[in-house]
Amino acid sequence: MSDTTKLGVTRRDFLVRSAVLAGSGFLSIGLPGLAERDAEAAIGEGMPAFTPSIWFTITPDGKTTMHIVKAEMGQHIGTGLAQIIAEELEVKWDDVRLDTPLESVENFAIYGLAYTVNSGSVTTEFDRLSRAGAAGRIALTEAGAKLLGAKVGDCYAENSRVIDKGSGRSISYGEILQKTKIDRKFAYPDDFKRIPLKARADYKIIGQSVPALDIPSKTNGQAKYGMDVFLPNMAYAALVVPRTRYASKVQAVDESAAKQIPGFIKAVKIDDTMGKCTGWVCAVAETFPAAMKAAKALKLTVDPGPYGKLSLNDIMEEMSGLSEKTEESAAWVLEGDVEKAFTQSDKVLEMEYTSDMVCHATMEPINATVYQAPDGGWHVYTGTQSTSFARMTLAAYLAKVLNKKQEDLKVYVHQFIVGGGFGGKQDYDDILAAAYCSMQVGRPVKLIQTRETQFATSFPRTPTFHKLKAGVKDGKLVAMNHDIVCGWMGPRFFVGKKYGTDWLQLDSWDAKKQDIDQWSIGGSDHWYYVPNHRVRAWDSDRTTWAVQASALRTVSNSYNMFVVESFMDEVAHALGRDPLEFRLAMLNGKGGNRGIPNTGYPPGTGSDYYMDRLWISLPWPKDDSWIRYESATVGGALRLANCLRVAAGMAGWGAKNLPPNTGMGLAVSSAEERQSPTWVAGVAEVTVDPKTGKYRVNKLNIAMDMGICINPTNTKAQIMGAALWGTSQIMSERLTYKDGAIQQTNFHEYQPIRLAEVPEINVEIIQSGHHPSGVGEPASTVAAPAIANAIYNAVGVRVRHMPITPDAILEGLKYKKA
Amino acid sequence: MPQLNINGQSYFSDSPPDTPLLWVIREELRLTGTKYGCGLGLCGSCTVHVNGQATRSCLVTVGDMEGALITTIEGLDPANAHPVQQAWIELQVPQCGYCQSGQIMQAAALLGRNPSPSDKEIVDGMNGNLCRCATYPRIVGAVKRAAQIKKEGTKNV
Repeated sequence: MSDTTKLGVTRRDFLVRSAVLAGSGFLSIGLPGLAERDAEAAIGEGMPAFTPSIWFTITPDGKTTMHIVKAEMGQHIGTGLAQIIAEELEVKWDDVRLDTPLESVENFAIYGLAYTVNSGSVTTEFDRLSRAGAAGRIALTEAGAKLLGAKVGDCYAENSRVIDKGSGRSISYGEILQKTKIDRKFAYPDDFKRIPLKARADYKIIGQSVPALDIPSKTNGQAKYGMDVFLPNMAYAALVVPRTRYASKVQAVDESAAKQIPGFIKAVKIDDTMGKCTGWVCAVAETFPAAMKAAKALKLTVDPGPYGKLSLNDIMEEMSGLSEKTEESAAWVLEGDVEKAFTQSDKVLEMEYTSDMVCHATMEPINATVYQAPDGGWHVYTGTQSTSFARMTLAAYLAKVLNKKQEDLKVYVHQFIVGGGFGGKQDYDDILAAAYCSMQVGRPVKLIQTRETQFATSFPRTPTFHKLKAGVKDGKLVAMNHDIVCGWMGPRFFVGKKYGTDWLQLDSWDAKKQDIDQWSIGGSDHWYYVPNHRVRAWDSDRTTWAVQASALRTVSNSYNMFVVESFMDEVAHALGRDPLEFRLAMLNGKGGNRGIPNTGYPPGTGSDYYMDRLWISLPWPKDDSWIRYESATVGGALRLANCLRVAAGMAGWGAKNLPPNTGMGLAVSSAEERQSPTWVAGVAEVTVDPKTGKYRVNKLNIAMDMGICINPTNTKAQIMGAALWGTSQIMSERLTYKDGAIQQTNFHEYQPIRLAEVPEINVEIIQSGHHPSGVGEPASTVAAPAIANAIYNAVGVRVRHMPITPDAILEGLKYKKA
Repeated sequence: MPQLNINGQSYFSDSPPDTPLLWVIREELRLTGTKYGCGLGLCGSCTVHVNGQATRSCLVTVGDMEGALITTIEGLDPANAHPVQQAWIELQVPQCGYCQSGQIMQAAALLGRNPSPSDKEIVDGMNGNLCRCATYPRIVGAVKRAAQIKKEGTKNV
C-alpha cells in the first residue's frame, strides 16, 4: 500500500529478522512494511513489547505469539491458524499464544483486510501460513547450526529446538534469539514459493485435536466481549425501536417524560444521511437501565418513509410477478439448450418454492463502545467480523458528519471476542450511532442493542421465490431450469459495476454481461451433471433495501440447497428412481463438474484466485503476485459422490427397518461458493405425527470432505453446530414483516432450536488430502433439505417452503387424502 | 442502597431497587462473565445462583436480593477447577462462548440438586438455556462427565 512505498521498501522481500529489544532479541516474520518502522520506534522508546509484524513473533523466552486478524466467533480460528504455522515452524505447542492486532490505517497496510466470512480463513491462509512457518524454521535452523558449529544440512528443528544430528547437541529457539541476530531474506514471491513444505504424512500438529486456546477463558467468565469494556466517564446509549426497518425519518423527539428518569442525559437523533441508522434515536444516560427506561419514554414523531406500508405478502407478490418478466433476468448458469431439451423431454415437472426471512439472532446482541481520545483519534471497542470495514465505515461517516477529509481522521478498532457472528456482524450501524452519541455528549458511549432493538434492526436473509422446471427423458434428468427472485445483498454492500467494485461480482453468462450477485444466487450452480442447465436470476431491489437483506451462514446456499435438493428428490420420485442412486448417477464429475472452477477466472488456474482477492489477510492486491495453491474444487463432483455414499452408509439407507411415519431423506451440498466448495452430504431420519403435523428429527448423519482437517474435535463441533443451525431453520425460525417493520421482538416469537429438539448426530470427517476448505458453515445447508426429503418419505407430503411448519404438513396430509 | 453478597463479598449498589440484578452485576460491579441475552428470562445467558438456585438475573431485582447469597460464574472457580468447568473444557463445549456462563451455572445448579441426572433430566434442566452455536450435544455430554468427576472427587475424599 502507499505507506510501504513511502518507506521506500517493496513487497519483493519476505523477511525473517530479529532485533535487539530491551536487551533481548525477538524474531518477527513477514513482508516488510510498517513493521520495521514500528520496531525501530518501539526500540527507540524502550517499550517492553510490541506487535512487530504479521503472522508471528518469537521472543527470547521461547514463547511464540501468533497474530490473528480473523475474528474469533466460535470457530476457534486462532487455534487452527496457529496450528498451521506451528506445524512448519516446529514450535512447541505449549509455547504458543495468540493476540489480535489493533485495526488502524497503519496495521491495515501490514495485515491487510481483517474480514472473517465465507468459511474462508483456513482455505485462503493455509498455504502462506505454512510457508511463513517454514521460512521461520529455516532461518532459525541456519542460525542455530552456526551457534552449534554444525553444518546446516546436519541440523533439523523440532519442539522449538535446533538439533545437530551428528553430535546430538541442540539449542532452543529462545537461546538462539538471545545469542544472535537473524536477518534472512526470501524473495517474494519467487523464493517464498520454492520453500519446501512438509509431506502431509509428517504432520504432527495439524490434524491433532489440540484444545482450543480461547476455551478456558469462556468457562470462568474471563473472556472479554465488546460489551465488557469500560472506559472512564462512560455513558450508555439505548436505541428506541425504529418505526420501520429502513428509511423512516424522525421528525421530532419529545424528551419530557424521559427527563423524569434519574440519570437520563439526552436524546440523540442519529445523523442518518449516509443511509445507515435510518430513523434511529438513542437515549443516552448514566447507566444502561436508565437508558433503556428513557428509550421507552421518548415520544417520536416519525415519517414512516417509502416502506411504511410494505408487508411480506406484497414482497412475495412482487417477486412472483418479476419472475414472469424473463427479459429482465440474468443468466447465472447457461449450459446446453434448456428450452429445446424441454420440448424433446418425455415429461416435464414444474414446481414453485419459497423461503421466509430468518436472522442471525446472535446470543451477544450487537454493541459498540466509542470515544474520541484527546489526540483526536477515534477508538472503537467491539466484536465484529471485520475490524477493517468497521474502521473504513466509521471514517467515511465521521468525514461526512464532521465535514472533514477522511485521511485527516484517525480511527482505531479494538477487536474483542465475538459472541456469535453467522454473517450478522458485518454491518456497522451501531458503531456509527455510538460515535455520534459520543460526539453529542462529549464522553465515551457504550451502545447496547436490547434484544428487541436487535430484532427490529436485524439484517435478515432475503425472502426468496423460485420456479423450477425439469425435463426427463429415458428415465434421466436432461434439462433443468431454476428461476430465482430475491433481494440481492451486493448493492447494499456497494458491490458491482455501479460502485467500481466489479471484480467482486461475476457477470451473467448471457449477452447482457450484467452483474449477478453471487451471494444471493450461489448454490443453484450445483455439481450434478445435467446436460442442459439454466439458472436465471432477478434482483428484487426494493426487497433488498426494505428488509436490509444480508448474508446469513452459507448465504444463498441456505435456501438454494433446500430448493435444489428438495426438487432433485421430487424428480427422482417422479422417475421412480431411488434418490441415492439417482444422485450418484449425476455426480459423475462430467463437464464443468470435473473440478475446475467454471466461474470467476480462467479454467486451469491453481488457486481460488477470486477467493484470495476477497478474503485473504493481506492488503488488497495491486498486482498478480499471489502464490497459487490447489483449488478446493479439485476432484469436483466425485468427492461429493463419495460423501453421499459415506453418509448413506452411516444411516443404513435402504437397509434399515424404520418405524411407522418415519422416513429418511438425503441431501448434498457444496457450500460455500462454487469456487470454494466443502463437500458435504447428510441423511436425516424424521418421524412425523400425522395427527398434529409435528415432527421430530431423530438422527442426522453427516459426512464431510474438507481435504485436510486441521483440528478434528473442533471440526466436529463446527459440523454439529452447523447441522443444528440448518435443522433450526427448517423447523422453527421465521421472521415476518408488516408495515415496513420486522414483527418478532424476542425469543418467545423467534425460536432457535433448543436442547429438547436436538437429534442424535453422527459425523464422519473425510480427509481426502486435498487443500483444506472451510468447515464452519457447509453442514448447515444439508440439514434442511434432508429433513424435508425425510418428511416426504415418512408421510408422503412435499412442503415447498422453508420453514416447514406442522400446519403445512397437516394441509399436505389433507390434500393427499382428498 | 441495596447490599449484595456476591461470591462471598459484600457490595453496595447505587442502583434503584427495581434495577434488574443482571445490570448491577455486569455494568455496576463489572462482573462481566454474566451475560445479557434477552432480558425476559427466555435465553438463560444471565443465569447466576441465588442461594444455590439457578436464577435468571434479568428477572430479579437488586432490591429483592437483600440477604441472598449470590454466585456468578466468576465465583464458581476462577481456576476452572469446578467439575462442570473441568468437563466443559475436557469436552471442548464452548464455541462463541457467550451463553456458556449461563449454561455452566445452570448445569452446576442442576448437579447440586441431582448428582446423577438422567438424559431426560438433563434435557429438562438445560432446555431453558439457548445456544445459538448449538453446542447442545456437548453440553449433554459435559453434564454427564461433570457428574462423574464430582463422584470421583467425592470418592477420593
